[in-house]
Parts: sequence; C-alpha cells; structure tokens
Amino acid sequence: MRRIRTILGGLICLAAFTAGAAHTQVRLILSADPAKPGDTIWAGVDMKMEPAWHTYWKNPGEAGMPTKIEWQLPAGVTAGEVQWPLPEKLPPADVTTYGYNDEVMLLVPLKLAADLKPGPLDLKAKVSWLECKEACVPGKADVEATLNIGAEIKSSADRETIEAWTKKVPHSAAWLSAHAWWESPLSVDTRPLIIAWADKADPKSGDFFPYASDNWEIQAATEHLPDDYSRDNGGNLRVRKIVKLFSGDWPKEISGVLVDGTGEFRRGIEVSLPISSISPRAETAIQTVPQIPSQPLWQMLLYAFIGGLILNIMPCVLPVIALKILGFVGEARSDPRHVRKLGLVYTLGVLVSFLVLAAFVIGVKAAGHHAGWGMQFGSPVFVVCLTTLILLVALNLFGVFEVNLGGRALDAAGGLASKQGTAGAFFNGVLATTLATPCTAPFLSVALGFAFRPEVSYSVLTLVFLTVGVGLAAPYMLLSWNPAWLKFLPKPGAWMEKFKIAMGFPMLLTAVWLFNLAADSYGKMVLWLGIFLVLAAFAAWIFGEFVQRGRQSKGIALAVALVVLVGDYAFALEHGLHWREPPTATAATEITKAADGIAWQAWSPEAVTGARSEGRPVLVDFTADWCLTCQVNKKTSIEIPSVRARLKSINAVALSGDYTRFPDNITTELNRFNRAGVPLVLIYPKDPAAPPIVLPEILTPGIVLDALDRASKQ
Amino acid sequence: MITLMKTTFAIFTALTLASAVLAAEVGKPAPDFSATDINGKTVKLSDYKGKIVVIESYNSDCPFCNNHYKTGAMQDLEKDLTANGVVWLIVNSVNPNNPSHRTPEQAKQEIADKKIITTAWIDDSSGAVGHLYGMKTTPHMFVVDKTGTLAYDGAIDNKPDPMHDPKTARNYVREAVDSLQAGKPVEVSQTKPYGCSVKYAE
Repeated sequence: MRRIRTILGGLICLAAFTAGAAHTQVRLILSADPAKPGDTIWAGVDMKMEPAWHTYWKNPGEAGMPTKIEWQLPAGVTAGEVQWPLPEKLPPADVTTYGYNDEVMLLVPLKLAADLKPGPLDLKAKVSWLECKEACVPGKADVEATLNIGAEIKSSADRETIEAWTKKVPHSAAWLSAHAWWESPLSVDTRPLIIAWADKADPKSGDFFPYASDNWEIQAATEHLPDDYSRDNGGNLRVRKIVKLFSGDWPKEISGVLVDGTGEFRRGIEVSLPISSISPRAETAIQTVPQIPSQPLWQMLLYAFIGGLILNIMPCVLPVIALKILGFVGEARSDPRHVRKLGLVYTLGVLVSFLVLAAFVIGVKAAGHHAGWGMQFGSPVFVVCLTTLILLVALNLFGVFEVNLGGRALDAAGGLASKQGTAGAFFNGVLATTLATPCTAPFLSVALGFAFRPEVSYSVLTLVFLTVGVGLAAPYMLLSWNPAWLKFLPKPGAWMEKFKIAMGFPMLLTAVWLFNLAADSYGKMVLWLGIFLVLAAFAAWIFGEFVQRGRQSKGIALAVALVVLVGDYAFALEHGLHWREPPTATAATEITKAADGIAWQAWSPEAVTGARSEGRPVLVDFTADWCLTCQVNKKTSIEIPSVRARLKSINAVALSGDYTRFPDNITTELNRFNRAGVPLVLIYPKDPAAPPIVLPEILTPGIVLDALDRASKQ
Repeated sequence: MITLMKTTFAIFTALTLASAVLAAEVGKPAPDFSATDINGKTVKLSDYKGKIVVIESYNSDCPFCNNHYKTGAMQDLEKDLTANGVVWLIVNSVNPNNPSHRTPEQAKQEIADKKIITTAWIDDSSGAVGHLYGMKTTPHMFVVDKTGTLAYDGAIDNKPDPMHDPKTARNYVREAVDSLQAGKPVEVSQTKPYGCSVKYAE
C-alpha cells in the first residue's frame, strides 16, 4: 500500500513539476534546498526535446524564436538574467539558426532577500518557446518548484546537474586576446568583418555566434581565413563574417560568443569587442614609427630661410627668375635707386603672398581639415586660372601684346610681369611665390613639417612662412641693394628682346605642365581647356595687333577681342568643360607601370607590415602629380635601371602613395615623419624591428642605392 | 553524427554565401523571375511593371504565418492593398518532401478555406524564387515599387511573436505601400524578418 502511495505520489509530483508541449518536456529544478535569506541560488529550466526537435538560443539566428521565461515569484525573490549554454549552429545553410538538440538547461540566478521568513516558497514560471523539426510548433509550459527558506543552505539533489550545465555557459575570459575590424570601408548594405583571436584550437573550428540586434545582423556564414603565422595579425583563429545593416549606423562594437574546438573540447567565450577600422597589423605599424623630437624654433626659422633661398633654383621658379633678370638688366644702369625700390617691392610681393598662404592654411586647419604644403594645386579651378595666367605671360614675352596700365585684368597681369614698374615687381613676387609652392627644397620640408604640426601656434606658423618668403626674396633683395654687383650683368642691347622671347618658352613649358595637372581633374574634357587657351591667345593677339599696334578702328578691334574672350569663356570653360564643377575624383588612383619599370603597388600601412613580416625591405614613395620635385626625383633617381635592378636583387617591395588629392591617410603618415607634404621617400630595412630610413628631399641615384644597400644588410 | 555535421557545415559556407550574393538588395531592381502558379500559368515579376508588388513567403503550417491568417489580419491587408491596384504574390517555397508542402489542389482549397486574396500563388517547391530573393522566414515580405525597384525587405510587422494580435502591431508592408502610393520615400526599408525557416530542400 505504502509503495503504491509512493509511486502515486511520485507520479503526481512529476506531473506537478514538469509540463510539456507536443515535443518538449520542461521542468524547473533548484540548486539548493533549503537556502538562507540573502543567498543566491540557481534555478535550472530543463528542456528535453524529442529526437530531431530543437529549440532556440537567445539569438535564434535567421529564423525561429528564443525561449522566454516569465517568472511569477513571491516577494523577496528576484530572478537575474538567463544564462544560455553554448548552442549549436543548426542547418540548413540557407537559413541558419542557433539552438539546441536533445536537451538544454537554461540557468537563472535567484537572489533571496535578507529578510525572508523561514518556510516554503512557491516559485513559478511560464516558459514559452518554439520547437521545430520539419514544421514548427509554439510551446508553452507552466513550471514550478518549492524552495524552503531555513537557517542554512544545503545543496539539492539537482545541484550537480545544474553545475554541469553551468560549465557549458560561455563566460568571458581575461586571458583572451581578441580583435575585430572592418575589412573594407563603409559600404551600402553589407560589410565584411574580421574577428581574430588566439587559442589552442584548430583554426578551422573557429566561429562567432553574435547576440541579436535590431538594426543590423551578423550573417551566419563563416569564412575561415588562413593563418599567416605572423605575430601581429590578431590571432591564429581568424574568421570573416558579413554584417548586414538594416537601419541606422554601422555597429561600433559586437557582442557574442567566440566558439572553437571540437567534440568535448568545444567551448564558447563571451566577448564584447570594439570594431576597429584598421587591422591590428596596421595599428602596430603606426606605433613603430620613431618619434622625432621637437626642434627649437630658431633652428626651424634658419631652415625656413635656407629653404626659401634654395627655392630660387628650383625648377618651378625658373621662369620667373628670367623675368627678374630682365628687370634688373633693363633698369640697373639708369637708376640704381629705382632698382633698389624694385627689389624692396618684389620682396614685399613675396611676403604678402606668403601671408596670404599662411592665412589660407590657418583657415583650413581652423576648419578642422588637414592642410598640406602645395594644396592649392589640388584645386582644379586654381589650376585653370593659373594655366591661363601663365599662358598670357608667355604670350606677352613673345611680344603678342604689350601692357598699358589701364588695361583689363588678364592682359594687365601678363604685361605687368615684364614691365618693370613697381607694380610689375610686386606682381613678380606674387608669381614667384605661387609657382614655388609645388616645390619642396631641402631644409624647407623640415621647417614646414614643423610649422604644420597641430600643436604649433598660428603665429609661429605665419612666422615660418614669412621666413621662407624672406629666403626666397633674399638674393634679389641683396642684388638690388648693391648696384656695384650689377656691373657684372651685360649691357642692355638688342639681345634683351631676343632673351625676352626666349624666356617665353620656359613659361610655356610651365603652362603645359599645369595643363597636365588640370587633365587629372578633368580627364579627357581637358580638351576644352586647351580650346579655351588657344582662343584666349587669339583674343590676346587681336588686342595686341589691332588695339595696341593698330592705327584705325581700335574701338571695333577691342570689341572683337572682348567678344572672342567672353564667348570663349562661356563656350569652352563654362559650357564645355564645366570648369567649376570638375568630375569627382575616382577613389582608386591607378599607378602607371612602365613595361619593365618598377612594379609599384598601392601604399597602405597593411601593405608595409605585410611585406616586412615576410622579411623584405620596402621602398615607399609618396608623390603627387603636381609635385615637380617628386617627378624629378623619380626620373633621375628612382625609375632608373640600377635602382630597379637593386630592388629586384634585394627582393624589395615598392609601394607608391599618391598624394595628388591629399588623402587623409597619407597626410597622417607624412605628419608622423614630421613632414607637411611630398616628396617623402622611405626605405624600410629587412629587419622588421629596424626603423625606416628617411631619404632627403632631393635625390641622387647614389643616395637611393646606398640606402637600399643599408636596408638589405640589417 | 559529428562527422555528418562537419560535412554539412562544410557545405554551409558556400551555400549561404552564394545565397547571400544572389539575394535581392533594397534600392536596386528586384530580381525578375519566371515561375509557375497553382493554376499552371507562368508568372513573371516583369509582368507587373508599373504596379506595386507585394511578395510574401508563405507557409500556413508555421505558427507565425498562421497567426496572421488565423486572426484575419493578413486577409484584411491583402484586401485593402489589392483593392488599390497592388499586386500580391504568395510564394510557397516548401520542398515536396516536407509535410507542409501543398499541391496545387491543396493550395486552391486553402485559398478558399482561409479566404486568401492573392493575385497569384506561386508554387516554388524548387525554392528558386525563395533563394533568388534570399527568403529566410515565413513570413518574409518584399515590396517592389512601380519602377521595379525593391523598396522593402523584411518582417511583416514589429512583433516577432506567434501569438500577438497583428492588428495592434506596426505593419511595415502597409506603411511601405502607403508611402509608395503617396510618392513619399519609404521610412523603414529593411528589417530583420521573423518566423519559421523556409523549408527549402536539403
């Protein structure tokens, strides 16, 4: 009889404490009974599924629904967050979910208040879930358990089961080194993410189960990336996941579980990783650049002055020198005082231009953008204007037209440069400065690099700029103040006219170079600029021939010239070229490779570390289309057979960084070497720990070959 | 068991990635398809150019999908929209071996029983249209605008629950169609779809 009652009682108990839907049995068990007030005990919601039926994880994945537990607890008992054991990734591949087969126990901490009275407590919960095999059925069950509050805590019979399941819950690990970063920049809908961590497991077993989010989804497919056995790639387990954005912004952080290992060694580690925009490799690259100590101001000013001096012999400024020479020769003998005045005015022109430049740079920096030396050449409108100006100056030198003080702005500019009045000298100074900017001389780059640093005050920046200007103007200032030296110049004569015409050709060459720059921004449409220039030249000739040198109908001629010019502007520049709205630059700039030239690859911090990790020296050339010094360096000292051969023999990688459009990442890199602009040529030695060799601004083949030798030895 | 799972997982990545690549993208032209409906007629998405098209991934055995029909909410939506010139296409991608599969006769019976209003019920037991659109769940809703561009892809509403009252939830499909008809941009163009997984062939 007693046995029957026990069995009956047992059955009733079973019925009371377990419940089930069609294919899942759910019951509630506790880790302790009795327990003391103030204790925290564990409740286990045990779900046993029939074979082939599964229930879902807190993030069910692409379909399904997570199990929900709604507690009905007496006062003084608080339920914490559900702890989910590590789920499996459930097939099929086209709709992947995360869930449990056979059995899962969801663990919930229950905190008991300190003021609970002794006695039995009825703990109830409503559990709802979705169970699926070939079809899905929603499940619901009411479960309950009794907990006795007593004077001491005693483990229940179920405690060991609960502990076994607790071990399957992924926890965070302090020893874990894990990284997450975007593989590619912002995109429209989906974006690849790389997650890397270091662990002893088989790399092919690595996976990441994300926690759910409303705005974005980390898709289930996992691609394993091969390990390249280098120290700073984030870890030996690397997976690529695709993130899909539904609305709002891309996530800055991901939470979920890193999974690795197989069979009984399979485990999950809970993580919350910030997503970096660059790989750990690139981050390391950034940190290994040596910090160049800050130099004293007086030294920077000295460098600025010397740099400005050297600018006088740079190819950019050469055409203007010709005009200056003409000026001195013409006036030197007749009026030394006038010459002195001209020298002063020229210097003033230079200084005022540098002030304007400094103001421009300060404006750009104040607006929060990166400023670079020579950046106005990045503006297509500026390039068009300057090209036209230079062409007119060349035409003036050829004698196509002369200048009267009352002439129009364009003609006046062309004429002023050759007329040796004070206005002409001032304009000479302005022109010299404008053309000097794309060139960087030795000393100058150091001084400018210093001036452009964010911590340097605006007044110091202006001072440095002005000092460069003083250096630029100095030779002619000196010459104009010492008439005695002028006697070394030849006597004025017929040769002056021929010299003037000859100097038109370097000017024309500058115009051609600027035209090529404009081609960068306008592509094939630059044809319209060419048309504009030719017609402008035509208008200039009409002006010169019929208005200035003509004897009758000057008014009509002037009108015709004007019409041609205005029509030319409207037709070619506005209508044809749309010069004020150049087509937007393409993101990827192509690196032209000569048939047997150096095999340049695009620069990126990752490319550098990648090559270095292979033990190869790296040649990095930061260049820009408008930087004449860069082009000269390349032609004379880099793209030459001996350097090409040396690069091959030392197994070096050649990387080219295009600064033509001032990309931010290159500005940052230049700043780290304390440079404000290009050229910057670096050679990273074979030894990955050694710092890069920074080459001087003006290169010779000897300098490059010598540095390559040093790089391959270390 | 483990080996089987490993092998299955080995095919996972390729298939899922492939389906991800082929899936439709909001803002781009909705992929055109040529499928057969339960009356044996050929149905093409391009047939409906110039009209707003709602595409529903359907499986009435799924409690989520069934909830919308049981409460009459889906039929109301179908009625309201089709009365306004919107085309409603039901796509049933359940594979023939699954108990939830419906033959054309069973489908016609179901339409009559549940009073479903639909322009065409596409028999997609091969899963071709489902995969083309990246249909993951039932229901998974798509709205194509008059120019053929995909304007909405995601859940039918904001309550991923098989027991809620759909009439009290925020219905993204209705909102999208209303916006399109008013010539306004669709505010919510993408959400995470909810429901049972689409029963593709394995």
